[in-house]
Amino acid sequence: MYDLIIVGGGPAGVSAGIYAARKKLKFLLVTESFGGQSAVASEIQNWVGVKSISGFELAKKMEDHLKVQDGVEIEEGSMADKAEKIKGGFKLVLKNGKEFETRAILAASGGRRRRLGAPGEKEFENKGVAYCSTCDAPLFAKKTVAVVGGGNAALGAVGDLLKYAAKVYLIIRGEQIKGDPVLFEEIKKDARVEILMNSEITEIFGQDLVGGLKYLDKKENKKGELKLEGIFVEIGSVPNSEFLGNLAKKNEYNEVVVDHKTQRTSCPGIWAAGDVTDLPFRQNMISAGDAIKAVLDIASSR
Amino acid sequence: MHAEKKVKIYSTPTCFYCIKAKEFFAKHKIKYEEVNVASNMKEREEMVKKSHQLGVPVIEVGHEIIVGFDRVALEHALGIKE
Repeated sequence: MYDLIIVGGGPAGVSAGIYAARKKLKFLLVTESFGGQSAVASEIQNWVGVKSISGFELAKKMEDHLKVQDGVEIEEGSMADKAEKIKGGFKLVLKNGKEFETRAILAASGGRRRRLGAPGEKEFENKGVAYCSTCDAPLFAKKTVAVVGGGNAALGAVGDLLKYAAKVYLIIRGEQIKGDPVLFEEIKKDARVEILMNSEITEIFGQDLVGGLKYLDKKENKKGELKLEGIFVEIGSVPNSEFLGNLAKKNEYNEVVVDHKTQRTSCPGIWAAGDVTDLPFRQNMISAGDAIKAVLDIASSR
Repeated sequence: MHAEKKVKIYSTPTCFYCIKAKEFFAKHKIKYEEVNVASNMKEREEMVKKSHQLGVPVIEVGHEIIVGFDRVALEHALGIKE
């Protein structure tokens, strides 16, 4: 039986692993892959000590940093499917069917992309509707595209697309940008960018591939239509909290509710950190810090 | 050993999942052909025709088309057991 199983290989999971190794806990880290959601970011400028780095490089560095620690056990390539209570701890079942027993669990399982939920989104997924701008931006060279969302991921996607596209619409549901002003000012300078605030996409249409979208400007209560070929959806994440079932309390958004001093959940023996929790800000360094708090609490409460 | 099927990856240079797929090929010593659909329009058209979509990576294993880096589908197509 392990002292601890860390679920996740993003900034939270990897930070937890490094600290757990230094505390000499007998632990296992389970992850599909390393780096978390920002592994696909073309550039990260706010990881302290590193002025600029690609998401892929940072993911590699995290993985390397974890793997040089003594006593690290890693189960890579599958995700947690289910946690169950057993005598003295928990049984964790992975999607690939493997099972492990542990005294404690740290859920650092992060989140996955939120879908728009607009008619046509599913039908045109990968047929113009895209979720990875670093992957797919080059396929929209000289084309008109839209980015949906107002956070840093959306602003980054606009930047990725400006390297190729003829025109980029930025469609934001609210009346404010949530991302960093430094990024927003940078993209606003480009004449090819057009910003639609207070606007919601009501339909995505086309033949075989995306041909355009319909939207509603909620402030003016005005309907509009854009002819375009690509729609990049960057509207945040939903938590990967399903594997915990009803073991730990979750809020209305399915985020695991934690005590923010210790990262303890409502279930003794289960801690959670990072984007899977009810934290107000989604940031690599915050997730890393929260996960460290969890491990220090786990180590001291043994 | 798995039967030698021809493997081809349609990729773009900055695509994270393309790099993960190539790491997977390297780990399992699988030879593959790579085409960059950011610059090669002919290959891009072929990719869209074969996969009916616009996302990368697209991986062709024999006659099978796999969209995205789908580890399980790749293992299955290549006859790899972890």
